[in-house]
Amino acid sequence: MNSNSFSPARIWTLATATVTQLVRMKIMAFLVVFCVIVVAAGFAFPVMNPEQQLKLLKDVSFGALQIFSVVIAIVSTALLLPRDLEDRTLYTILSKPVPRYEYLLGKLIGVLLLIGAGLFLMDIAFSAVLWLRQSLVLAQSVGALKQEGVATPEAIAQLTEFVGKQGLTWNIHLGVLAIFLKASIIAALSLMISCFASSTLFTVVISLLVTIIGHGQGLIREYFFSEGMNQIMKKLGSAVLAILTPDLGIFDVLDNVINGEIVSAISAGVMIGTAAIYVTGYVLVSHLLFVEKEL
Amino acid sequence: MPDSAPSPPAVTVENLTKVFKSGLGKQAFVAVRDLSLTVEKGEVYGLIGPNGSGKSTTMKAILGLLSPTMGKTTIFGKSSTEVESRRDVGFLPENPYFYKHLSGLETLLFYGRLCSMSGRDLQDKAREMLMLTGLEDASNRRVAGFSKGMLQRLGLAQALLHEPRLIILDEPTAGVDPAGSRKIRDLIMGFKERGITVLVTSHLLEQIQEVCDRVGIMAHGRMVREGKLDDLIAVENETELILADASPDLLAEIRTLAESRGAKWIRSGHSRTTLERLFLESTEEPKS
Repeated sequence: MNSNSFSPARIWTLATATVTQLVRMKIMAFLVVFCVIVVAAGFAFPVMNPEQQLKLLKDVSFGALQIFSVVIAIVSTALLLPRDLEDRTLYTILSKPVPRYEYLLGKLIGVLLLIGAGLFLMDIAFSAVLWLRQSLVLAQSVGALKQEGVATPEAIAQLTEFVGKQGLTWNIHLGVLAIFLKASIIAALSLMISCFASSTLFTVVISLLVTIIGHGQGLIREYFFSEGMNQIMKKLGSAVLAILTPDLGIFDVLDNVINGEIVSAISAGVMIGTAAIYVTGYVLVSHLLFVEKEL
Repeated sequence: MPDSAPSPPAVTVENLTKVFKSGLGKQAFVAVRDLSLTVEKGEVYGLIGPNGSGKSTTMKAILGLLSPTMGKTTIFGKSSTEVESRRDVGFLPENPYFYKHLSGLETLLFYGRLCSMSGRDLQDKAREMLMLTGLEDASNRRVAGFSKGMLQRLGLAQALLHEPRLIILDEPTAGVDPAGSRKIRDLIMGFKERGITVLVTSHLLEQIQEVCDRVGIMAHGRMVREGKLDDLIAVENETELILADASPDLLAEIRTLAESRGAKWIRSGHSRTTLERLFLESTEEPKS
């Protein structure tokens, strides 16, 4: 067999080793913290109205999911390459017939598998709590209607529809998908930075900075590319900004999800396409940097 | 017509120069200057030199971990820049570390899969390597708890796992106790018997002397001496004579005879064992 050829098996070996490495670094302890936060948010503030209770639960849970995914994407990716270099495990790996791009892909896929699995488990926990809370809220509200003597079938149906819209829908999972896609971009970005960074701290700080700028791209465009600006300059400036930092605003569908609005298929497609373009771009640049890296 | 083309050497280094660029305003560092060497198939070649002489840089260039500033390196005729050239190489870096979360066996399975090995073959080979390096009792123990000598032997096991034709060892006995060091030396002798080519660096010259066929001495990034070990270390105008149970009278007679024929008597006295041999004899458990 020509071991120089692209080998998904080798990439999978590196990816699973990365997952095991991160799992044994107790990085998934965040899952327990998340569950506590979700349960607390789900059953706190029972005096709020039903809509507010469900919105708060979604707000807090999505916030925790975002923090988990961004922190893991930046920190774990920033740690992996320097640690392998420091421990010289990189020497023993790359002295085998392993092309450098396979090593990079293995590491990135490992981080994404971990984030994906973490988000999946948290999505299950979140959905369960939300469904439970939604059922309780509905039962309480129907009870209140009955007490007031206005529990007509139409009123109950209207209430059920309203609570259902604010409760567990496929939109919730689309929100989680948006978080995962955003985390994928950030992980690929961190990987690229760690290919030339001199320290883990540098990678973490720069990745965080680019993530923050990426979230505020809309504001930056609005502020710097004012009305009076030449159209060509405006487009050029926007393009440069989009190349330097990913436009993470595209993934900000969570407010819509929290408000019970439907995320369209087009929005989902744009998010997936954007993530694919950025991840591919960052991986390509990472390869160009890493292939020249002196070990 | 049979193919009469000679097979390429195990390793060639041709006019290798490696310059490390420094930051702005700092002078670039020349780690290796115009170095050339050839390691023939089946031989044990020792590359020795003081710290910072360029040995590790040369090894990394041979393995394709560093790109030469000038010159080229090959492994069995393939350029080191090709990933395929590493198919026949096993490498043990200086003071190796492995993923701490894996056990000894899991570590070998991981490296085996990177060499496209799988299934029963890989399992059997990994266990065989653990046995060969004396780590069979530690196969299920986490690498985090391994001693330096055990890590070194695990490093050798991963280097040998895919049955390479060339083994590159960077300071294989660094930080290892004399017993572990002897074990590694015996393994190198075993490779030689099996026709495996070995390229080894060490600053423990006595060990290099025991195992190597040829030696290259590096200093300041250059090759300063190279050749067959026997040729390099032989003192042309001196002869050694070792006798057992010789009486003082016999020794006096030999000395008189030698001096009468114009030879200069340099020294005589009891042969000495080495400190290493004494250590091993004193610490080895008696066999029952």
